[in-house]
Amino acid sequence: MPRKQNLMRADRLGYVVGGIALIVWALRRPTLLRTGVGGLGGWLLYQAYTGSNPMFRPLGIRVNPQPADPDVAETIVLDEAITISRPRSDVYAFWRRPEHLPTITEGDVEVTRDVEGEQIAWRAMRGARMLHFGALEFRDAPGGRGTIVAARLEYQPAGGSLGDALARISGRSPQRLLVDHLRRGRAILEAGEAPTTSGQPTGRR
Amino acid sequence: MRAVCWHDKLDLRVESVPEPRILNPRDAIVRVSATAICGSDLHLYGGFVPGMVKGDILGHEFMGEVVDLGPGVKNLSIGERVVVPFPIACGNCFFCRKAMFSLCENSNPNAAMAEKLWGYSPCGIYGYSHLLGGYAGGQAEYVRVPFADVGPLKVPAALSDEQVLFLSDILPTGYMAAENCSIQPGDTVAVWGCGPVGLFAIASAQLLGAERVIAIDRFPERLRLAATKLGADTIDYTEDNVTEALKELTGGRGPDACIDAVGMEAHAHHSLAYAYDRMKQAMLLESDRPAALREAIMTCRSGGTISVAGVYGGMIDKFPAGALMNRSLTIRTGQTHVQRYMRLLLARIEEGDIDPSFIITHRMKLEQAPAAYRMFRDKQDDCIKVVLTP
Repeated sequence: MPRKQNLMRADRLGYVVGGIALIVWALRRPTLLRTGVGGLGGWLLYQAYTGSNPMFRPLGIRVNPQPADPDVAETIVLDEAITISRPRSDVYAFWRRPEHLPTITEGDVEVTRDVEGEQIAWRAMRGARMLHFGALEFRDAPGGRGTIVAARLEYQPAGGSLGDALARISGRSPQRLLVDHLRRGRAILEAGEAPTTSGQPTGRR
Repeated sequence: MRAVCWHDKLDLRVESVPEPRILNPRDAIVRVSATAICGSDLHLYGGFVPGMVKGDILGHEFMGEVVDLGPGVKNLSIGERVVVPFPIACGNCFFCRKAMFSLCENSNPNAAMAEKLWGYSPCGIYGYSHLLGGYAGGQAEYVRVPFADVGPLKVPAALSDEQVLFLSDILPTGYMAAENCSIQPGDTVAVWGCGPVGLFAIASAQLLGAERVIAIDRFPERLRLAATKLGADTIDYTEDNVTEALKELTGGRGPDACIDAVGMEAHAHHSLAYAYDRMKQAMLLESDRPAALREAIMTCRSGGTISVAGVYGGMIDKFPAGALMNRSLTIRTGQTHVQRYMRLLLARIEEGDIDPSFIITHRMKLEQAPAAYRMFRDKQDDCIKVVLTP
């Protein structure tokens, strides 16, 4: 089974250049230290070859080398799902409102597919530039437990996989925005309001 | 208003802060008439819980008078006297509908933080770190209560604050700990820790039909209370080997159920494992010290139940998984689903089955909170439970 890729093409090119540079540096005057650094270069080349950096794997970064949208060469893919204790029609109606779509970027949103009660897909554009595209799918949760909303978003991160990894570690990534958005939607649908503490007292000065 | 603010480990200050206001339709504002310091507040005081931020207002055991209501709260009126449960719960989600209120999916605005540490997020809790929502707590003159149509329990005027205040946390916590033991006729229950939760767990185990309850602690005043007030057998673990003593007291088989009412800052007497835990915790290699939990697992009778009421925050070492597996033990635990037990326990109080105020040793003003925390932590002056009034 091919390993899931988490490096974008630009990242892989960078890894090739970096890997070769390290190996060349090591070969010019081999010492113990330099041999180690050369090994690191080999590891980078191997990662470029497989398209996968094992250190990014716990972060859940996944690259789609052949996105459905022909305008984009490759994307990072987000798959998130949430179960909401409400009927499918209500859940669909909530996200059908354009202001409720989990758009992770600014820009103009265009709904590209809308199947009542089942699916909503959209693209976010700035002029002719694609910022991201995504889809929400709605299906009944088993045992009358409400509705499962499965979100899939694809985008091109600033700074490639490394940039996306740093964003995820800092807690301000598109992935986090998407999850927070789904959670907020569930709170509004189930409880009628989203939890907040902003505006409460504190002893901070 | 005045509020108890956390500034750093061992640095609490009573400060003037703005009064809370309604932020969501289902909010209420409560003027606090009484609030208590919980043993779990000491974990915050000692800096053992991650996600505390300078200025956070503490306190999750409180009661008072409703002074303002959001438009979504229809079952309360201004002026009513309520006890507020510490788990913030929406009442509508999957877990709330199953009466597992402390697992509410809609009350923690920082759920992503909790997920990193624990896999999924439990409910939000007042004054208990940003991991659990960063909600301002009730050790203050006023407090904002979210989902006020679900949590707060109206209490009859005939009962004093001190009789009903502990419905907010520790009485239901002790009760759930005992209920989790699935007590059968003839059962012996051993309780590690005779702080307020341990004492209420003893009382609850008796209410639920335990034949015999054995209380384990080292502080004489606590053991005395367990023996004289509740009629429990006692073991002072600084004098006796707990495992041996329990074996002897239970005909060699071990207690049918064991309650850990100690949690992450367990103390053990002259034990190598304890020195190991202290060292690893100081080096940040282990967040919690599970001495009581280990001993409970090793001592419990085969096929028995370990009920964990003490708070744990992160990772523990040297967990006796072999004993757990090979001897068919069951562990039951959780933050208390307080809303599930409040009415039932209020009825018990009204009927005179239990008067929770017997644990109170100190009554102080909110302004004295830093001294009260220090005294409670160091168990000075035989301190068992402090109630603060603004």
